[in-house]
Amino acid sequence: IAGIELPQKQWPELIGSLLSNIHQVPAHVKQATLETLGYLCEEVPHEVVDQDQVNKILTAVVQGMNSSEKNNDVRLAAARALYNALEFAQANFSNDMEREYIMRVVCETTMSPELKIRQAAFECLVSIAAMYYVKLAPYIQDIYNITAKAVRSDEEPVALQAIEFWSTICDEETDILEEYVGDTTGDSDIPCFYFIKQALPALVPLLLETLLKQEEDQDLDEGAWNIAMAGGTCLGLVARTTGDDIVPLVMPFIEENITKPDWRQREAATYAFGSILEGPSPDKLVPLVNHALPFMLSALVKDPSNHVKDTTAWTLGRMFEFLHSSIVGTPIINEGNAQQIITVLLQSMKDVPNVAEKGCGALYFLAQGYEDVGITSPITPFFQEIVQALLTVTHREDATESRLRTSAYETLNEVVRCSTDETAPLVLQLVSVIMMELHKCLEAQNLSSDEREKQSELIGLLCGCLTVIIQKLGSSEPTKYVLLQYADQIMGLFIRVFACRNATAHEEAMLAIGALAYAIGPDFAKYLPEFYKFLEIDLQNFEEYQVCAVTVGVVGDICRALEDKIFPYCDGIMTQLLKNLSSDNLHRSVKPPLFSCIGDIALAIGDNFEKYLMYAMKTLQIAAEMYAHTSGFDLEMTEYINSLRNGILEAYSGIFQGFKNSSKSQILIPYAPHILQFLDSIYMEKDMDDIVMKTAIGVVGDLADTLGSNAGSLIQQSLSSTQFLNECLTSDDHLIKESAEWAKLAINRAISV
Amino acid sequence: MAPHDLRRPFKRPLISDQERRRQQSLLRQAQNRLDAQHHARFLVSTAFSLSSSQ
Repeated sequence: IAGIELPQKQWPELIGSLLSNIHQVPAHVKQATLETLGYLCEEVPHEVVDQDQVNKILTAVVQGMNSSEKNNDVRLAAARALYNALEFAQANFSNDMEREYIMRVVCETTMSPELKIRQAAFECLVSIAAMYYVKLAPYIQDIYNITAKAVRSDEEPVALQAIEFWSTICDEETDILEEYVGDTTGDSDIPCFYFIKQALPALVPLLLETLLKQEEDQDLDEGAWNIAMAGGTCLGLVARTTGDDIVPLVMPFIEENITKPDWRQREAATYAFGSILEGPSPDKLVPLVNHALPFMLSALVKDPSNHVKDTTAWTLGRMFEFLHSSIVGTPIINEGNAQQIITVLLQSMKDVPNVAEKGCGALYFLAQGYEDVGITSPITPFFQEIVQALLTVTHREDATESRLRTSAYETLNEVVRCSTDETAPLVLQLVSVIMMELHKCLEAQNLSSDEREKQSELIGLLCGCLTVIIQKLGSSEPTKYVLLQYADQIMGLFIRVFACRNATAHEEAMLAIGALAYAIGPDFAKYLPEFYKFLEIDLQNFEEYQVCAVTVGVVGDICRALEDKIFPYCDGIMTQLLKNLSSDNLHRSVKPPLFSCIGDIALAIGDNFEKYLMYAMKTLQIAAEMYAHTSGFDLEMTEYINSLRNGILEAYSGIFQGFKNSSKSQILIPYAPHILQFLDSIYMEKDMDDIVMKTAIGVVGDLADTLGSNAGSLIQQSLSSTQFLNECLTSDDHLIKESAEWAKLAINRAISV
Repeated sequence: MAPHDLRRPFKRPLISDQERRRQQSLLRQAQNRLDAQHHARFLVSTAFSLSSSQ
């Protein structure tokens, strides 16, 4: 209730009355009060609570956590409440004394004799690492000592949080360092303290120890998460953050353990090697990988442990992901070892499902590395064998275990994506193979609910595979021509998919239809009478909003393919698009593409859009007024508002362009003032991103181009045609500049007549 | 207060192939929209330069 009422200032006395409970003697009242404060902090946006109240909440919560509090239930409630209250504590973390006090209490609480309290205190430390990285320097040594002790000797839930602290620091430092690279001035807002680099000599041995704490059969359990997994993941993040420096610290561990009789040691050594393959430079890694590759290939086939084979296949995948590419200098796959690598990987695909899945994963990256290889690919001689092996995997009886079938289809997709013209005839043969698979799958009757779920999943995978094949074959004229001969059959299968009530299957079929419409062009019109009703149904799927989003994109594809032939269907489509835009129940991410889609329709049907103009403009105007300003919103919301603005502007562009050279273009004149006002407003807000800027200056040009002298004086008076235009003309972004130059010509024509 | 799930992707790609297909479709659609707009603008500009040169 507080989550609803506090933002509307309807329950101002709540926090005060809760805080007055804190001094109540009965411990359960205190505990309930702290829990309520925790829930409140979780639900209520932090800007809603004023600083005075934040201070009082924090005082109550931190006091409740303190070791002087003897009741463990109260202490736990306080620690959990602090986790949620941290976001409110910006000002308090900037005050040295207050921060010292909070940090001292949190660190002390990690020593509590109660497991749950220690875990909650470490959760607070993780959250502090993410939110207050810049304030951590004075405490990092102590935190290292606390976390190292927890990782080595505390119970698993606590140790996992302690590892997560360092993973979070890695995330923060990677983000900061990536900012540095993107920022040409080398002057980022947040400094990097290089905590990971400094902790490296102590942190790496600590993480390596965790790798030896695997659980039996951890690879078979989808939801497994333990110290070894967390430690290896953290080691990978540390490698990404520090680069070359980690290599000499890890290599002795690998060399010592990789041949040991105990599978745990061999697996830990392999996992360590796989974990450090992203981050260090190829110069450092390639010699090591070249040395290790024969051993790994042998282990993948011969090691008696499934665990070791699983991690070996994954490590091979990482080698190919980060070090095998047609553009990297020294290839790790060459004429000498390609045959052996592929033979071993194909053999691993006959192994138990978890190993076979990782084998498919390795092949995925092997194919990807040849993506930009040119006309002749080294994979060509193996293409048929690989495709056959992958299809065989998809037919395995145990293919639904360990995500094996999904992985096999994903790899098949990547092999197709990265194929060259040489293998186009083989990809063409694949069309009828996958169509037959889909047909067989759709035929299955009288299925149990479990079987039906697996059927839907397979339908999704097959439609996904057809999307990739359609895109591949549609990208060159000769293969497109052959593909089109299958179009009726493919479309017939997709229509049957819509009878199956499964969001993923619908989404995948929609994506495939979009790709097909793009490949076919105007001839796609013949499928619309049958397909239209499914299009309309999926446009209304608010619950599985991804289906709705993909369908909106497909409407755009069909508009571009059919142009004015889409007009007979536009009453239904426009009604639905406008309904969706005015709905509060549709996920917000679908709104920007909905606006853009209005532009797609307008551009496709030209001045036939007249019948929708009044309704569309009204919706656009309301939205434009709502999203002209971003003050008071956070960064994420500003980003979202910019994507909405871009959608609105794309709609305006489509409408103006649709009416260009039409005798009816004058009916747009009454709308020009509010559109220019919207453009001026967002210009003055100074918070446009580059994409919005480019679209916005394009709209100024489109307006001028379509309305010409009829809007000459309006245009002349607008900031958009003067200051904004000049800003765009001098932009470093060549797309903005190009649009601006075009807009300048259109504006000059409009005002010179 | 919701439980704090700290599992990270383990031996799995960060984004699924389905997500990749979605992103590639969105990119293709955005590019096609840009091309269509560019085409519309270019047509009119040509029409204008032809008429103004007459």
